[in-house]
Amino acid sequence: MRDQRSYFERADFESDFPPQFLVSIVGVTIVLLELGFAQWPFFYGAAPVLSLIFIYYMNIYHEKYIPVFVIFLMGIVGDVLLSDLLGGRATAFLLLTYVMQHRLARLQQSDFGWLWLDFSVSCAAISLFQLLLFSALNLAIPSLSPILFQLGATLILFPIGFVIIFTVYRLLQKVKIV
Amino acid sequence: MRVSDKARIRQRRIIHGVLIFLSFSLMFLGKADLSALRNIRMGSSDFLAPFIDFVSAPIRGIETMVEGVRTVASLRAENVRLQGENDLLKRWRRRAEILESENRQLRSVTGAAAVKNRIQITARAVTAPGGGFAHTVLIAIGGEEGIVRGNPVVTADGLVGIVIDVGRAYARVLMISDINARIPVILSSSSWPGLSVGQNGQFLDLQFLPDEATPKIGELVLTSGHGGVLPNGLAVGRVDQIKDGKIRVRPAVDLRNLSYVSVLTGGLDGIDNSNLDLADFYTPLPIDDTTRLLEGLNSSGQRR
Repeated sequence: MRDQRSYFERADFESDFPPQFLVSIVGVTIVLLELGFAQWPFFYGAAPVLSLIFIYYMNIYHEKYIPVFVIFLMGIVGDVLLSDLLGGRATAFLLLTYVMQHRLARLQQSDFGWLWLDFSVSCAAISLFQLLLFSALNLAIPSLSPILFQLGATLILFPIGFVIIFTVYRLLQKVKIV
Repeated sequence: MRVSDKARIRQRRIIHGVLIFLSFSLMFLGKADLSALRNIRMGSSDFLAPFIDFVSAPIRGIETMVEGVRTVASLRAENVRLQGENDLLKRWRRRAEILESENRQLRSVTGAAAVKNRIQITARAVTAPGGGFAHTVLIAIGGEEGIVRGNPVVTADGLVGIVIDVGRAYARVLMISDINARIPVILSSSSWPGLSVGQNGQFLDLQFLPDEATPKIGELVLTSGHGGVLPNGLAVGRVDQIKDGKIRVRPAVDLRNLSYVSVLTGGLDGIDNSNLDLADFYTPLPIDDTTRLLEGLNSSGQRR
């Protein structure tokens, strides 16, 4: 009789690749969702940076499921679709991740209020970084009010995004096959 | 810490460094405006645009719902306003008919060029500006329909922008509100030429007007047709504010509410748009005073 053992070997449930793949799809979808929000006249030229909330949360609590390539991909897709400076958003996201990695242990033990404050500073730093790059490369200063509005909208949506991602994670935990 | 963990962290750091370097390099390559990079960019937009449509559908639904509730709430006030507006429009229509007839007669005399060789193709706007650094919009029409770089994009209210990138089925439009958009314009009543400059905000700046020009609040700003890329006479906006020598223009088109636009194809013969850099896109007005033929002419063709 033919040896059928290889057909019934247990699948590798411990692999990080499937959740990483899922996270990359969710990440790109969030970037597309941002573009959807941009179609609201209220958010004209200043849609909240939902992808930043996602990256921030994932970097703190599920770092191993969000490879740097996914962060790069989310930044580049945003740059291409928003026609921003190609690579500007991706560089900002990657630099934020780099800085966060050095403070990860402290952030993981912080309460929500502190995280919100830290996110506010990070978000402002990213906006400033992009503004400086844009001004240097275009030799022009764009209108600041949309940038500030975008910053404010992102900060306001941070707790909501945080709760949604947390809830989705808890739901996924429940359906996880052990 | 295990050896495998250390190796994983080291590997992650290397990839991180490489990706930061790559994205930083992309910024400079992107600024160099290489045609290969532009094609890749437009190809990606072509590929991702249907997904944006799919993901945006529920958001559009919510927006329509909110809009519906708001409309019902203000229906009575809206009705009164519309009746008043209708009376005004009737008067304007009569006036327009008279002016149209007069215009036709004047053209036959002066030989002024109308917008010819331009075909309007309607397209749906797929995206809207989402950041403070670029004001562009993706439209669901591309090279397959004969769209080329440099085609003006309009609505019934006026100019929206100009096509800057063309993919197979989608094209990207640089809006007049983008900081890179510089459009040769004239003031409608005095015909003084100037340049409309986007600010990546909701308003435009009117610059390079002659010192003698005296723009008025509410005055219409039209494309002058200088450079030949844009036809003349398209509404760009209205003078909204004059403060400390700065003239602010409110765009004629409500750029926040773009659903459908028309692309004016054709009419670019003789214009070299093969290497159309953004900085050179809108031809500035001639500096030499003797070449400003339209200067000082009012809408009736009389010199002030």
